[in-house]
Order: sequence, then C-alpha cells, then structure tokens
Amino acid sequence: MNIILVLIPLSLVLLLAAAWAFFWGVNHAQFDDLDTPALLPLSDEGGPAAAPHRALPDDPPA
Amino acid sequence: MNRVCFHCAEPIPPDVHLHVVVGGATHAVCCIGCQAASEWIGTLGLDDYYRLRAEPAERAGVALDYSAWDRAQLQRLYVRERADGRREVCVLVQGMRCTACSWLIERALRAAPGCVDVGVNVAAKRVQLVWDPDASSLGALLERLARLGYTPHPLDAASLDALNSMENRRALKRLLVAGLGMMQSMMYAVALYAGAFEGMDAPTRDFFRWLGLLVCAPVILYAGAPFFLGAVRELTARRLGMDTPVALAIALVFVASLIETLRGGAQVYFDSASMFVFLLLGARQVELYGRQRAADVVDALARLQPATAQRRVGERLETVGTHELTRGDVVVVEAGQTVPADGVLLDPQCLVDESLLTGESTPRRRAAGERLLAGTLLRSGPVGVRVSEVGADTVLSAIVRLVGRAQQQRPRWTRFADAIAARFVAGVLLLTALTAAAWLAFDPSRAFAASLAVLVVSCPCAFALAVPAATTRAVAVLAREGVLVLAPDALEKLLAVTRVVFDKTGTLSTRQMELVDTQPLGALAVSECLALAAALEIASTHPIAESLRHAAHGLPQRTATDLLTVAGAGVEGTIDGRRLRLGRTAFAWPAAADDRGVLLADAHGPLARFVLREQVRADAAPTLAALAQDGLALEILSGDDAAHVAAIAQRLGIERWHARCTPEAKLAELERVRAGGDCVAMVGDGINDAPVLAGADLSVALGGGAQLAQSSADLVLAGDRLDALVTARRVAQRTARVLRQNVIWAAAYNFLSIPLAAVGLVPPWLAAIGMSLSSLFVVLNSLRIRRPARAPHAPEQATASLPRGTEALPA
Repeated sequence: MNIILVLIPLSLVLLLAAAWAFFWGVNHAQFDDLDTPALLPLSDEGGPAAAPHRALPDDPPA
Repeated sequence: MNRVCFHCAEPIPPDVHLHVVVGGATHAVCCIGCQAASEWIGTLGLDDYYRLRAEPAERAGVALDYSAWDRAQLQRLYVRERADGRREVCVLVQGMRCTACSWLIERALRAAPGCVDVGVNVAAKRVQLVWDPDASSLGALLERLARLGYTPHPLDAASLDALNSMENRRALKRLLVAGLGMMQSMMYAVALYAGAFEGMDAPTRDFFRWLGLLVCAPVILYAGAPFFLGAVRELTARRLGMDTPVALAIALVFVASLIETLRGGAQVYFDSASMFVFLLLGARQVELYGRQRAADVVDALARLQPATAQRRVGERLETVGTHELTRGDVVVVEAGQTVPADGVLLDPQCLVDESLLTGESTPRRRAAGERLLAGTLLRSGPVGVRVSEVGADTVLSAIVRLVGRAQQQRPRWTRFADAIAARFVAGVLLLTALTAAAWLAFDPSRAFAASLAVLVVSCPCAFALAVPAATTRAVAVLAREGVLVLAPDALEKLLAVTRVVFDKTGTLSTRQMELVDTQPLGALAVSECLALAAALEIASTHPIAESLRHAAHGLPQRTATDLLTVAGAGVEGTIDGRRLRLGRTAFAWPAAADDRGVLLADAHGPLARFVLREQVRADAAPTLAALAQDGLALEILSGDDAAHVAAIAQRLGIERWHARCTPEAKLAELERVRAGGDCVAMVGDGINDAPVLAGADLSVALGGGAQLAQSSADLVLAGDRLDALVTARRVAQRTARVLRQNVIWAAAYNFLSIPLAAVGLVPPWLAAIGMSLSSLFVVLNSLRIRRPARAPHAPEQATASLPRGTEALPA
C-alpha cells in the first residue's frame, strides 16, 4: 500500500499541470473563438503557423 | 433565367452582364459592389472564402470613402491610444454572418501593412483592430474592410472594454477548478467509503481526508467565490436570494468536514461540497451562454446614426464627425445614406424610408421645410438639410431612452424556489440547533454527528438546483430550436400569458407582396401584360416590382428603354415602340374608375390591372391556430393603413385589430389590456416596437427584425420563424411540470430524511449519499425536458444555433 504515497502526490502534480495548461490556454485567448479555428485546416495556404501569435499584450500572466 | 450572384446569391437582373474571375473560373455577379468585393477577395488570394462560407454574403455596396476617419476630432471618441504608441478601435461589422466571414476579415486585415492585431468575434459581429499609426491609418483599414463587401461601423472606446471583459474567462477557469477538484475529491471519497466497509487504519484514513481537504479547498475558496460574494451582496441589500443559502450550505459542509478532519471524527463531505459547486457553476455557465446576445442598444444606435456627415461650408463640402455638427449647420445627404441629425429639408422634395423609426414600410415623401429625422434612410437625393437637433435631442435618442426607461420599469420576477429555499435554510439551521441542543441534553457524545447529519441530509442543494437545472435545460433546448431566452423569467411569463399582440409588418406578413389577380382590360393577354410590367419594373427594388418580376418568371423577356421613374406614382418606358405607363391609377390612366392595385396602360387606354396583397408569413396561420387553441386572445397592433391591417386580420381570423398606431398609441393599448387583467405578450420587430415591446409583460422579437427590438426583448425567435413561439410555449409547459416535480421531490425527501437524521438513525455516510442522490435526481429529471415532436407536415428547417460570444452579460 506504500505505493500510494508515490502515486497520489504524482496524481496531484499531474492535476496541477492540467490546471496550469488550461489556465494558460484561457489567458491566451484559446477559448475566445471556438468557431474560426475549425476552418483553418481547410484552407490551402498554410495552417495556424501562418497566423501570428494571437496573445494580446495586456493579457494577465497565467 | 436562373442566374444568381456569385457573391451575394441574389438573382441577377437580366440586363446586368457583369462578371468576375475568381480562382480561375468566371462567375456572374449582380452589381458593381459585388463585383468589386469579389475581385478584391480574389486579388488577396482569399477565394477559399467561397468554399468555406455557410451563407451567402450580404449584397455589397459600393465602397465609400473612409478617409474622414483619419480626422483627429473623430478619432478622439472612438480610438484608444495604447501605451506602446499603437491605436486600437472596436468596429461593428455589418454583414458578418458566419465563421468564413471572420476568417476572411482576419486574413484580409492581417495582410494590411501597419495592422498589428485583429480579433474577430462572429457572434457579437465585432472586430478589434490594433494598428500602428505610423504605418497605416484607420481610414485605410476601414476601406479595406468595406471593399470586402462589409460595412464597418466603429464603436466608441468604451465598447473596447466590453470586448476585453475578462468575466467569461474567469468563469471558465472557475468551472475547470471545480471540475478537477470534484473528480479528485470523489476519488479520495471512494477510497474512504471502501475503507469504511473493509476496514482502514486511522492514519491512512486521515491521509485521504487531508488529501480531500487539499483538493476541495481551492474549489470552495476560488471556484465558489461568486456564491460567497453574492451572499454578501444579498445580505448588505437585506434581500434573501439564492446565493445566501447556497453559500451557507457550502460553507457549513466544508467547515464541518474540516472540523471532522482535524478531530478525526466520523465522516467528511469534501466530495459533496465540490460536486455541489461544480454543478451550480456548470448551470450558470450554460445560462450565461444562452443569454449572451449578439447585439445591444449601442450597436443598433451605431448602425442607425452615421458617424460622419457631409457639412456644407460655403461652396464646398467637408466630411465631419456627426458629434461635431451644431444647430444651424447645413449637411448634404446622398441617396442611400442615413440622415445624421434631425433637421429641416432645404431642397424641394425627397423620399425617406422611416421604417426603422415608425415601422412604415413604404417610403414617405417630404417637401421643403418638413422635418427629417436622424436615423432615417434617404431614398432619393442628394438633398440639403438644415440641422435643428443634434445628439441627445434627436427623436432617435429619445426612443433609445424610452427603451431604457421601459426596461427599468419592468417589475422583477422573484423566484418562487428562492423564497422556499431561503426559508428552508433558515428552518434547517433552527432544526440543527434544536437537534444539537436535544442531544447535548441526552447524549453529548452523539450531538455533533447527529446535527451534522441533519445539516448534510437536509439538502438545500436539491432545492437550489431544482429551478436552475430545469430552466437551464429549457434554455439550452430552446436555443437549439432557434429561440433565445434573454430574460431569466421569460419562460414563466410565457405560461402566464393570456393575450398575444402582434405587430403586422415583418411579423405576421413578410415585407414582400404577392400578385393575387391580373385583370386584362385591353386586347392583350394576361401573360403578355405581365411580361411588359416586369420589363418596366426591371430596375426597381420596390416590393411591388419584385412581385411582378417574380410572377413574370419564365415568360418571354421584353426589353424596355427610356425608363423614367416618377417617385410615388409609377414607372414609364418604351417597349417595341409603344409608350407604356405602370403605377397608380392616377398616374397610369387617370380616367379609370377603379383605383385598386397597379394599372398598366399605353397611350390608348388601360391594358391590365394587377391586384397585389401582402404576403402572409407561411407559418403565421398554424401558429395563430395553435395559440388560439390554447385559449389565448389574439390581437394586431399596426402602424399601417386600416385596409391592409383589416385584410391580414381577416385572412388570419383575428377579430381584434388596431391600425395607424404610433408607438405611444400601441403602448397605451397595451396598458389598457393589461389593466383589464390580461398578461400580454407582444410579438414584433422594427425599431418602433422597441419601447412597445418593453411595455408588454413578455416581449418577443423576430430575429430578422431590427437589432434594437431584439436587445430589449425577453425572447428572440432567431430562426425568423413565428412557429418557434408555439415550440417555446410547449417547452415552457414541460419545464413548469419538471420544475414542480423537482421541488416536490426535494421537499418530500427532506421531510422524510430530516426526522430520521435528527433522531440519530442516519449514519453520516448515508447522509452524504442521500444528499448526492437527491441532487442527481433533480438533474436527471430536468434532462427530460425536450423539444416537442414536430407536426409531420411541418417542414424541417435549419435552426439557429446558440450564439457564442466572449462578452459577459451585465447581471
């Protein structure tokens, strides 16, 4: 049963990582427009790489 | 002749032969504006737009000159200077319809030199533009947008804040924290339950409890913060709402669990607490999405009142901002432009379209010295106007103020469940105190466990969720059907309604006319007369012209030359050497006896009479029948002529109607029927309806109507279908039923379980399971709310989807 002493802290670390990733996404406008990105792969010339970074400078830090 | 425009998908008049080459293929277009927009899209290499779009574009106007937007006086109101020297503006883009539009706009603007950042929000139809003033100018960027076929309206600087509002992002983060915390604390709770049955040593048990505390604390303190803040607001306002019992329940369960963890007591409830927070936050989020509106009053104003005007200074014209105009200025307004301020007409005469202000669908004639209102559309021009009222003194501004006041006057509906839950929580607290006191007197060792069991088993969660779970589900179901519920109490009111009042134009009738009869008066056959009439009306956009062209569809085409339009009377032209007149009897052949309909005549006498009538919306009759079957009284209030209104009322079987109503008269009539004890729903569109809509118990706007009417409406039928009103009523009925079941269930559960817990028969773990199950029942029962099955003959139509936006709704 001692294995839980390793596994549970590990799960907590993963939980924190997931929460941090989501917060980062929300702060960087990833959830603001849920419609347009679905169309990007359909266009011929370049994918999201062609579009500059969407983050606005006045975003609060994650 | 089935040619439709490549750009806007409207039919191409037969005498137009314009083409555009996009993506290597040649396509036909309907007008210069569409040709320019399409060519420009092709030049930018963005022709993918035509493959991606879901809806055709709006018919493009000829791009106007936007250089006036570079004036500093104008920019001061609209543009914000940022710390890094760049400038930003929020632009309302008319004609943005689907995600392909947003893709097109974003690509086109990003490619512009000097453009730093573009943010497009399709639902709100807004574009946020950031540009470098050294490398580009606002005028150039707006012109670029206009050349794509859209009409940009910059909004004042305050709307930038609304767009940047962080409220929605914060709500999303809270929901995620609650969700993750709930999952984790449930995992630990399962371990604890298993341990309770299988045997678990105290240190391991405490370890899991501390873990539960660790993951539950952020859920309560961060995700649950809105409930605590709301409770504080309610307490300071001395008004017991829903937030107070919710906050109290969360806090009590959490604090009790904390105490039990510290003293090694019998049971902890971290899983219940975090699940409660998550479910409530989820319900709020769905409600928020459902109520987010695409447009608000400011948008409609921006669309109605032009930001710039042509001021005459001596012999020349200068473009100035509308707010720079002062009383006595002379402005020049072109045909197709909007009058910038109230004023007096200087030229002999003109035609104005006041449909957005008065609901009048036919253009009105104004003579010199008569008053023109800001926000009306000029149909003929250019004319000079001497400004008499500006800004807040205009009729338009007064209407907007009227809307605001009417909205404030509306009595707020107080939630029935709120009142119950608040009283219930007070009762439970009293019971808990009694239980604790009684057990302290008999057996102090069991006092804490028993009073905690009372607190937990008595589930204000079920009460708290009973109403929002059902209404949230109803809002989501209706949104899928194209009915947007904008006011929280709209569904309840929809059930209470006893009388439905309809506006006529645009609500019961479409704006089109239909040809019902053609009477030949001369030697020519009916089809020949129709072909001649269609040829004469080829260039007109009037509804009568469109219906005649439609009726002549498929007949051999004739070509008219020397077309001359006499405004307000008719049209004159030559076909095969014969001079023909088409229009009012007084214009075409004054000697004719009957003056109904439209008369076609040549130099020798009348040829045919076309009898037209307003086209009734296809779904109007079944909708009215269904409402009448429900026992609702029906009524028409219209600004139109008595003859038109009576004809429609007769065709639809409505006995009570009023014609020639001003907005004030409509309001007075509404007040009269309301004073008679009726609960009134008003269905309408058009800007003149906005104050009227707000004066009804329940206001319903059709989505095709003016935005201002929508923004003050409780319900919006976004699919532009009247029969959605019946659907909404059916869903509201189901919701009321489910809601009653939920409340009865919550009450019955509590009446049974609380006495058992108080006498110490319910162990805490059972209390926790009971609490979760009672909430779960409420949620699952709410899922039974579905859309009613459609009548088999009703055609399946595309439904509008839930509008999405990033803008938070003011509470």
